[in-house]
Amino acid sequence: MNKSKALMALTQAALALPGVARADVSVDYLFSDYEEADLPAAHAASGQSSERYSIQSHLLRVVAPVWQQKLGMTLTYETMSGASPWFVMPGPDGRPLQVMSGATIDEQRVDLQGTMTLPTSVVDSAITLGVSTEDDYRSLHGGVEVTREDDDKMTSLTGGLSYSHDRLEPTEGGSTRFPDRIRGADKDTLSAYAGLTRVLTPTTEVQFGFSYQHGDGYLTDPYKMVYVVSTATTYNESRPDGRNTYAITARLRQAVPSLAAAIHADYRYYRDDWKIESHTVEASWQQTFGEHWRVAPGVRWYSQSQAFFYSAYFPDFRHDGFASSDYRLAPFGALSGRLDVTYKLQNWAFGIGGEYYDADADYAIRSVKVENPALVEYWSVQLRIAHEFK
Amino acid sequence: MKQIPSSVMCVLGLLLIATTSACSLQTVKPWQRGDLASQEMDWETDPLLAVYRRHVEFSKEAASGGPVLAGGGCGCN
Repeated sequence: MNKSKALMALTQAALALPGVARADVSVDYLFSDYEEADLPAAHAASGQSSERYSIQSHLLRVVAPVWQQKLGMTLTYETMSGASPWFVMPGPDGRPLQVMSGATIDEQRVDLQGTMTLPTSVVDSAITLGVSTEDDYRSLHGGVEVTREDDDKMTSLTGGLSYSHDRLEPTEGGSTRFPDRIRGADKDTLSAYAGLTRVLTPTTEVQFGFSYQHGDGYLTDPYKMVYVVSTATTYNESRPDGRNTYAITARLRQAVPSLAAAIHADYRYYRDDWKIESHTVEASWQQTFGEHWRVAPGVRWYSQSQAFFYSAYFPDFRHDGFASSDYRLAPFGALSGRLDVTYKLQNWAFGIGGEYYDADADYAIRSVKVENPALVEYWSVQLRIAHEFK
Repeated sequence: MKQIPSSVMCVLGLLLIATTSACSLQTVKPWQRGDLASQEMDWETDPLLAVYRRHVEFSKEAASGGPVLAGGGCGCN
């Protein structure tokens, strides 16, 4: 009931904006239930399996013409609960075992983002502003994108620049219980990308892109700890206060008119100065059945190497003072499968989708000596409803 | 001197091939673009779902980035 009220309120608010015509307003809603599999007992220091994260997400997007331009607003509301990985310690045989955060975490995130497109005779441009808030985190971000298409519409060039300022105020920072946890910190992120899209044939299109990101400030996870064997004690994890990342992407869209279908194939190569290297391959088959149905099965493979300061646990202190046992900085690979089904009826669209994701050292491109015990396995289900006012 | 990873060379090679060969390609006329204009050929057939899935991946993996505008950070990563 609350969701439909929120949807109606945002739609009415969009329609009430000056210059907004009821025609050409579109509303799109997504609900997702995300569930992580329990940490297996064999991976837990406690010897007992442990529940992990569960996230319910609501995304609402309204696109409306405003002052002869197009304004898109996306509102995200998420509730998160469960336990998260805290630190890793060696078991009796030296095998890494995960210690989870003791208390169940209950959190929510609200994110609002608006994009105004501003087409001109020379380029199409768009300005984006957004804000995201959680109990312990705030982010303000903005960016601009420009696209230029050549006269015969065979090639287009796109570029974007964005900036984000984030403020962390960790729960119980500086408290009696966690005196070493920071009370607050900031980080800034500058991102840029450039892309080239090219039509090759009446059924083939390719896109290449390069993106760069520079992070500066507090890039450490304030809740995570590391275990040092020589002192048999845990300490706060510590990461460098700067990070430069690079990504190169190649994407292909191939229509198969005889089957009323299209093939999507995407590749991304990523590298950063934390010495992480990654490959991502995604492929999907987009099948339409008549005027109403679209079915899209897809697979994704991901692989990353570890950060230079990562270890499941540490025999002794590192000379540079950096240390993290975060599974997201560990070497691993992941496989996921997806299926999305959409039904269109006049100005309405209804959809259901699902994804299963499994991270494992065996899926990595290079062999992994020690697998992090907290690698995640999850499944998620999405429900969709969209409407165009005409 | 650092060696450029072979995968980077592959992608750069593909880029070079596509852009140079594209110069000799025949222009695809507007009346030939019916398949290109179909929704299943969009770079993202479902932009809202793509935003959601990118956010999940961003919170579970070290790598991010691509030909889209980066958003703000979150406490998830």
